[in-house]
Amino acid sequence: MVITFATAATGLVSSGLDLELSFSQSLQGLGISPQVAHLLWLPLPMLLVLVAAVVGVLVTVWLERKISAAAQQRIGPEYAGALGVLQPMADGLKLLMKEDVIPVRADGLLFTLGPVLVLVPVILSWLIVPFGQNLLISNVGVGIFLWISLSSIQPIGLLMSGYASNNKYSLLGGLRAAAQSISYEIPLALAVLAVVMMSNSLSTVDIVDQQNGAGVLSWNVWRQPVGFVIFWICALAECERLPFDLPEAEEELVAGYQTEYAGMKFALFYLGSYINLVLSSLLVSVLYLGGWGFPIPVEWLVGWLGQSVDAPLVQVITGSVGIVMTVLKTYLLVFLAILLRWTTPRVRIDQLLDLGWKFLLPIALVNLLVTAALKLVFPFAFGG
Amino acid sequence: MFGFLKKVADYTRDAVDAANYLAQGLAVTFDHLRRRPITVQYPYEKLIPSERYRGRIHYEFDKCIACEVCVRVCPINLPVVDWVMNKETKKKELRNYSIDFGVCIFCGNCVEYCPTNCLSMTEEYELAAFDRHSLNYDNVALGRLPTSVTSDPSVQPLRELAYLPKGVMDPHDVPANQPRAGQLPAEVLKGLSLQKDSSPGDGGESLQDAPDGEQSAG
Repeated sequence: MVITFATAATGLVSSGLDLELSFSQSLQGLGISPQVAHLLWLPLPMLLVLVAAVVGVLVTVWLERKISAAAQQRIGPEYAGALGVLQPMADGLKLLMKEDVIPVRADGLLFTLGPVLVLVPVILSWLIVPFGQNLLISNVGVGIFLWISLSSIQPIGLLMSGYASNNKYSLLGGLRAAAQSISYEIPLALAVLAVVMMSNSLSTVDIVDQQNGAGVLSWNVWRQPVGFVIFWICALAECERLPFDLPEAEEELVAGYQTEYAGMKFALFYLGSYINLVLSSLLVSVLYLGGWGFPIPVEWLVGWLGQSVDAPLVQVITGSVGIVMTVLKTYLLVFLAILLRWTTPRVRIDQLLDLGWKFLLPIALVNLLVTAALKLVFPFAFGG
Repeated sequence: MFGFLKKVADYTRDAVDAANYLAQGLAVTFDHLRRRPITVQYPYEKLIPSERYRGRIHYEFDKCIACEVCVRVCPINLPVVDWVMNKETKKKELRNYSIDFGVCIFCGNCVEYCPTNCLSMTEEYELAAFDRHSLNYDNVALGRLPTSVTSDPSVQPLRELAYLPKGVMDPHDVPANQPRAGQLPAEVLKGLSLQKDSSPGDGGESLQDAPDGEQSAG
């Protein structure tokens, strides 16, 4: 699947840093055919993004522990590395060393398959996350739609692990997770649809490009404030972050669908939930906060400095600025999610479904219709 | 029609209110980020136990007259007083004394009733042991003095909240010589005697003043 998506991307008009092009050109200079060069190129970005996702999770776990500690006037991890930066590594190593327990009465196959089915779609979604004009694994035409459809595989994995554990808490947690994911996917998709309507494309690169005409002023958050809030709430619900963490509400359900899991299988859930958080924050920044765009368009800055946008050094600098901006926006949102975690109380399951179906869904629908109307009336501002 | 509009307006107001409260809550959480941690970093920092702290019991073998009052006042008759009657001198001869701190509830009754003050309560509370039987202290172990938190070079002593100067909440960086809030009993007495000196010959008035002095000390 990855290969087909990647080949679809090669036909696009490219501007800015294109590492694949330079890589394959230098290989063709050595007398290697373009097909082989492409095949050699393919694993590199995948590996890079996988490493980036895992490192992003380690940073997020560390941030979560430190910020949580600060919000509660504690110090948090301190002795594992400077300021406790190695604490997530220590956690991971501990989980790696632990015994892999499968309960006797559990269904072994489904029990093992559950965490995999939760983690794989989340990692696969990184396919469409752009860090720059050409800095993504593949510029899929249906990018954001691919993410929405991949994220709806997750509840199957959650339900599977909850059911296979043969434990009432796990089953309840799994059912809640499934109900929650399914209810919040609809407003989420509607919020995304409004953005897609404005940029006339499902591709994440096009969505960012459409926002970077006038720097910070042209970001979607100003044109889609309601959509931004809806998307953020739904993203928190999809990630099972605190106001909506009732699938694993420890006071009632021990740990929900994770109750029977230990060792590496638990680590997969843990990793999955944090990768999902980072991914959701990335997508919020891509959809609403201008993605890799600098608050003032870099093209303007380069023009004022009297440089050409196509100069190699300028390309490298703008590419790095883009990556830094994406990561910065993402981690600001992660920070907000952590603050929200220590501010908001957990909602009940009926309140959760009320909020999803009776509040967010109508609002998202109205938002979509209003966006459509505005697009017809002001085509210059709403991407006519 | 108006009923429906009113409903919509109420609903919108509720939603705006909810968002407002959420923002206020976030402001509170955010404000906590810039506050200093209030946790005590044990074992690198330790709180100085209060003057009336009821820690491990100290015992002086030579003062003890083996009267067994401590055993009688103890809720569970815990202290073991091992003595024999010396027939020649017609006196009790103390051989051993022990208290099991795995069972002791540190109520301090034995210390209160000891006629010779051979029992006293220390500020020691780190009694962890690998075996609960090693918590049964004999007269030698009971006679050891605890290490004071303030004299231990590897520990930064911190004052408890009630012992901090007035208005100070953070025990870090408070100079050791800075007085605590309120007055010590000795200071209250001194203030009283000064008052008495200033108005001689009128005993009634100074008696009237006495409770006021105590109140201001509280």
